[in-house]
Amino acid sequence: MRVEDKERVGVEVTQRVLDHWTQGTDAVEHALFDTIYEERRRLESEKKRSRAKKEGAFYNRIRHEALKASPERQKELLKEIIGFFVEEVTGHFDPRVYEVATRVVPPALSVLLNSVSPLRLLETIQGSDPLVDQLEVGGEIEAVKNAAKLGTTILVPTHSSNLDSILVGFALYRIGLPPYTYGAGLNLFSNKLISFFMHNLGAYKVDRRKKAPVYKDVLKTYAGVSMEMDYHNLFFPGGTRSRSGAVEKKLKLGLLGMGLNAYIHNLQAKKKRPDIFVVPCTINYQLVLEAETLIGDHLKEVGKSRYIIEDDEFSKPKRIFDWVQKLFSLHSRIHLIVSKPLDVFGNQVDEQGVSRDDRGRPVERTRYVLQDGKPTFDRQRDQEYTRELARSIVDAYHRDTVIKSTNLVSMAVFDLLRNRCPEMDLYRLLRTGGSEESFSLQEVHNQVSRALDTARKLSQAGKVRLCETLSEKDTVAVVSEALAHLGSYHRHPALSRRGDRLFHGDRNLLLYYQNRLSGFGGLATEKKP
Amino acid sequence: MSTRSGLDILVVGGGTFGSTLATLLCENGHRVRIWVRREEQASEINAKHTNSRYLGDFKLHENLQATNELADSVPETPIVLVAIPSKFFREVAREIGDNLEGDQILVHATKGIEIDTFKRMSDILREETCAKKIGVISGPNLAKEIIAGQPAGALVASRYDEVVEGTQTLFQGSWMRMYGGRDVIGTEIGGSFKNIIALAAGVANGMGLGDNTKALLITRGLSEMARFGVSLGADVFTFGGLAGIGDLMATCASPLSRNHQVGVRLAKGEKLKKIVESMNQVAEGITTTKAVFKQVQHLGLDLPIVRAVYGLLYEGWEGQKALQNLMAIPVGRELAALRYR
Repeated sequence: MRVEDKERVGVEVTQRVLDHWTQGTDAVEHALFDTIYEERRRLESEKKRSRAKKEGAFYNRIRHEALKASPERQKELLKEIIGFFVEEVTGHFDPRVYEVATRVVPPALSVLLNSVSPLRLLETIQGSDPLVDQLEVGGEIEAVKNAAKLGTTILVPTHSSNLDSILVGFALYRIGLPPYTYGAGLNLFSNKLISFFMHNLGAYKVDRRKKAPVYKDVLKTYAGVSMEMDYHNLFFPGGTRSRSGAVEKKLKLGLLGMGLNAYIHNLQAKKKRPDIFVVPCTINYQLVLEAETLIGDHLKEVGKSRYIIEDDEFSKPKRIFDWVQKLFSLHSRIHLIVSKPLDVFGNQVDEQGVSRDDRGRPVERTRYVLQDGKPTFDRQRDQEYTRELARSIVDAYHRDTVIKSTNLVSMAVFDLLRNRCPEMDLYRLLRTGGSEESFSLQEVHNQVSRALDTARKLSQAGKVRLCETLSEKDTVAVVSEALAHLGSYHRHPALSRRGDRLFHGDRNLLLYYQNRLSGFGGLATEKKP
Repeated sequence: MSTRSGLDILVVGGGTFGSTLATLLCENGHRVRIWVRREEQASEINAKHTNSRYLGDFKLHENLQATNELADSVPETPIVLVAIPSKFFREVAREIGDNLEGDQILVHATKGIEIDTFKRMSDILREETCAKKIGVISGPNLAKEIIAGQPAGALVASRYDEVVEGTQTLFQGSWMRMYGGRDVIGTEIGGSFKNIIALAAGVANGMGLGDNTKALLITRGLSEMARFGVSLGADVFTFGGLAGIGDLMATCASPLSRNHQVGVRLAKGEKLKKIVESMNQVAEGITTTKAVFKQVQHLGLDLPIVRAVYGLLYEGWEGQKALQNLMAIPVGRELAALRYR
């Protein structure tokens, strides 16, 4: 963020949040004491003692004063807390580091990823870019670049791994897009190595342990105001990494709605470039770094799953190293697909920045927010518009998901497991593996072949994408590629071949990889615990 | 609402219900235009204030203007009300979409489902226009009673408060009490599904069965409607309201209902083809049954009345066979499928 903007953003965010929380009788008092309560509660479990002490003293002082304060003074105290939050959110930007990082980090990342293979490192030094092999960026690249020139864009990727933000950062750099601002959870900073990249890729820290609605409002408003100031934004609308492995179907509407909010503010301010465009994006892995932890969490009893996971594979550099090494040794590709940009109402936008309806007819998008000829906020209406946008994003996610061999073969094997024991509940099936510990290769081939036919039909109908192996190779090649992946990186092989039989080892992982295909007609249905 | 000021509302569709709503809104003091497909029908409405094909000698409101041009009329109005049979709905919706803009409200009053795709009418409006603010009107609204000036009630459902409030304002003070709701899916399913039960009730009437049997049929029909709707995402409470039981009661009890009439004639042994040929208006239940039956199979639901009506319409079942099949079903706990879902 530019230095001159930092102060402006701070002032604007503080004022908007304060205005929002001071409407109505007793509103200030409620907001103030709720925030103090939530924060003090959080501090009870704060691990860093110095921080707990410092912030504890701050809230104690505010509380002590607030108990006896007049409504006007309470408003000032609330403003003080909001200012504290705003400073925390915006304070991590160092424009100098930011400038340098946008130039230095992507090549550094390339070196990092390639350093696991000396030969590849050598290639990098010699000037070639082997990352081209691993990360394939596709989809509507030109349309997205145009959108970024015509207005402010919000990139909203699917989210499976903590590596997502790094890969997106790299992909943006490679296709020639400017850097994006985004809020990264504190847990992303737990790995020191990654933390370095996080800090410098334009990320601001988001403390997800802070539950106070005022804090969440600060984050949302910050994103909105930064959009109004032409900063491209990136966030994961699923809210957190997909635990089940499925493509996100339900999106968090709060942050997503800030696009529309910024758009209306821009119209009201009669800005020359008022447009905000939303770019869905899918990130597709053969192997997901944190698959075991994620599916494990998904399968916990309802209500016991964790929103924040701090001790997963991502926090262990050795696992990241293994994962990268595996991808290279298997020539595995990560597909990052950017979809056609959308306007904030969910209509597709063409390369000239014109919104189009489903029939391709041009739509004058400002009309959606006009009342008596003026751009106006209407909370209920705007929530519904955002719901429409979310629906279009989810549709795009599905169309632009790239099915990998690990997904398809896991689904085929899981279907065999299910068919053998139709009466068995999911937990038992996962724990025991049902009646047979292995299937004949032929049987698996037949099952995969049927699934492949369905997947190819869906792909021809434009409902999903397939990786090269699935679109070009035969069943035997598909199964063998999947086996190479599923049988190695994870701690326990999900699937391995002995003789002419395939043994299912970690069924949780099979479930995880097959869940990616749920929501595509004719393919898997998501198995819910 | 927008700054468009030429009209208060454009009613698209000059059938019985469209004309009825248009005249009711005129009587309520609004500037209303009605779009009809045929030029001569538009001329008749403008010159003689009648719509003889659908409403006989009934005099429409003299301020009601008719047109067969959508391109001129759509941009002039803040609200477009579509009342077109489901068979032609998509085609007309597309035409509306050529001239519509995002600030306009689009409400429909068509009770039916697109047979090939199982799309609801609001889905079609969404696909064929740029409108987001979409709503549906449904309820026990037999047109001939409304034009006779009798009190009636309906439900306007939309995800957008602006649509609900805008539509309610138009009907405020009229004999049509317009209630508001948010459950678009339930409202549309109720309005379509009741035609199937009306057909069944007509068959029962035609077979000379009494009120006990009809009450049994209607109540179990409502249960099937609710199960079907809920499986598609509807709110179960909608079926206890005007768009559910309300509409079902009126349609099944009234000999004026077209679907009811088809049922009566089927029970008397007439062939479907002949019945359809002899009617100058569409009985939506005939196509709805086909679409719903297909969907029921897809969803894996067990809805015996739908099955029986499908048999009557498309598999040459006789009334007696349908009745025997229905009576042979084991009785379980009432509403169990809804209560323990």
